[in-house]
Amino acid sequence: MLLIIAIIAGIAGLYMAWNIGANDVANSMSTAVGAKAITLRQALVIASILNFLGAVLVGKHVTDTIKNKIIDVSLMSQHDVTLGFLAALLSASLFVTFSTWRELPVSTTHAIVGGVAGFGLIGGGMEMVHWDTLVQVVASWVLSPFAGAALAFFMFKVIQKLIFDVADPVARAKQLSPLFIGLTIFIILLSIFTKTRVGTELNYTMGEYILISLVMSAAAGLAGYLFFIKTRAHAKKKKYDVVEGLFRRLQVMTSCYVAFSHGANDVANAVGPVAVILAFSWQEVDTVYLLAFGGIGLALGITTWGYKVIRTVGGRITALTNTRGFSVDFAAATVVLVASKMGMPVSTSHAVVGAVIGVGLARGLDAVDLGVIKKIVYSWLLTLPATAFVSILIYRGLIILF
Amino acid sequence: MSYRVPVSAIYRKKSPLEGLQQHMGKVKECISLLRDGFIKYVDGEYEHFHEVSEQVSKLEHEADLIKGNIRAHLPRQILMPVDKRYFLWELREQDAILDHAENLAQLLDLRHTPIPDELKEDFKKHMDMVMETIEEMEKAVENMKDLVKTGFAERERKETKRMIHSVHKKEWEADQVRYVITKKIYEMEDALTPMNEYHLLKIVDWVDDMADHAENVVDWLRAMIAK
Repeated sequence: MLLIIAIIAGIAGLYMAWNIGANDVANSMSTAVGAKAITLRQALVIASILNFLGAVLVGKHVTDTIKNKIIDVSLMSQHDVTLGFLAALLSASLFVTFSTWRELPVSTTHAIVGGVAGFGLIGGGMEMVHWDTLVQVVASWVLSPFAGAALAFFMFKVIQKLIFDVADPVARAKQLSPLFIGLTIFIILLSIFTKTRVGTELNYTMGEYILISLVMSAAAGLAGYLFFIKTRAHAKKKKYDVVEGLFRRLQVMTSCYVAFSHGANDVANAVGPVAVILAFSWQEVDTVYLLAFGGIGLALGITTWGYKVIRTVGGRITALTNTRGFSVDFAAATVVLVASKMGMPVSTSHAVVGAVIGVGLARGLDAVDLGVIKKIVYSWLLTLPATAFVSILIYRGLIILF
Repeated sequence: MSYRVPVSAIYRKKSPLEGLQQHMGKVKECISLLRDGFIKYVDGEYEHFHEVSEQVSKLEHEADLIKGNIRAHLPRQILMPVDKRYFLWELREQDAILDHAENLAQLLDLRHTPIPDELKEDFKKHMDMVMETIEEMEKAVENMKDLVKTGFAERERKETKRMIHSVHKKEWEADQVRYVITKKIYEMEDALTPMNEYHLLKIVDWVDDMADHAENVVDWLRAMIAK
């Protein structure tokens, strides 16, 4: 009987990973494909590899987080907890599939949190749920989009004032390229150091990480400058397109980074519950195997379903040129970095949505559909109750079955 | 199951500003066609004018479809970099140029009014000045692309404002020619049949109307690009 549960958990975990890969790959790769910085095939290969590597190399040890941060598992029997996590996993997967189909970028993390809290509420009562975690989730609905919007607005205004608003935008873009490359590399490095296992294993202080990141990004900025300075404007090409071309390369970097960190962070949403279920129903499994398993699921999701996602987005994304795309990516990455440093469970999707509005408010986009945004906000508010409710239903069913 | 995509739905593939440029493309095509036909008409070559009139009508209709499409896909929730009300008024004035072009072409086609020899050069000159006004307006509207690309950089705003001033100047110059022509027509009234005189006055007025609407376009454009 327990073996059956273990097998079902494995399949459900793969389904969840596949979902996450298919859904979120658009966030990282579509701007780069749409701007023709890379081809569709390249994007799929890069995203699959980076997601897999991110999951395996720096995937978080989140089993404990999923197990203990949302509910107090000691208040329930092992058998019930096992079934509960299975219910949470299925409920979250179904919700993500539904949201993707309905064009709603939701947070897979929040879906799992809702699912776990749901069965905890039924299985152990009010005192079983760690309400402070849920309060943080609710706070992040407000914080991450607003922070994303503010930062993207600011970033685009900076690009606009410093580059587009001067007499020779191309020359200015070249002069400032080290600054933008440096900033990008700085955020990427700092994220890798502070958010992933690399940081915990190196075990330096925050100040040292900042220093290391600063030095490395300064070097990268200088190297990039030497590379960019050779870029010459083709006589026929419009000067603004040359500026966009410089930002295109930065965007490829941020896209790769988002893909990598996505694998690192979100693989836990699929693998975490599986690890708990396997430990209770069968045996403890080495995390690396589980992470590799989740990484394969992500890669599968990208190559099977994500293919269509990127292609569709690539065609739709024309309004988002490279300077805008860079502002959005940069703002989202920074918000996620700072928030997770503060211990907030924020979602990249939420920050990205906010950032797009920010650029729109800075007069950077032709048309932003606020109607769609209203729909998306509803889906965020719905994530917790919906996954909790479905999780309760599935949990009740599983209790009867097993 | 058709696949739909998160996030990307927020920024629309079809931008209303792109539609505005498409509509402007029809204005360009239509007015230059009418101008060439008009010059021949003034010289008394009527035989191909019917085709010109039909072409103008066809283009006006195509532009109408574009206009309708822009309006139909501009719900209240769309956030644009320019004020949406001004944008819609601008589109309306752009379309009014075509309405007047169609009216003028049909009027000319309905009755082949001979233009007196002493007025021929003035008529051609007037038409060319109206044409210049419209061309300058087209440039100003097309500069919107660069304005949006640069997030409304001051340099591009100045460029657009310069074009707008130029439209005002050219429209004023066209008005002066219109005044001279009208005056000459009244001076010739004894030599003209009443019907011919009526039509000559009407032709001058309607040619000039196109420049007036071009001026209205840039006035709304000026409001659109306000800080």
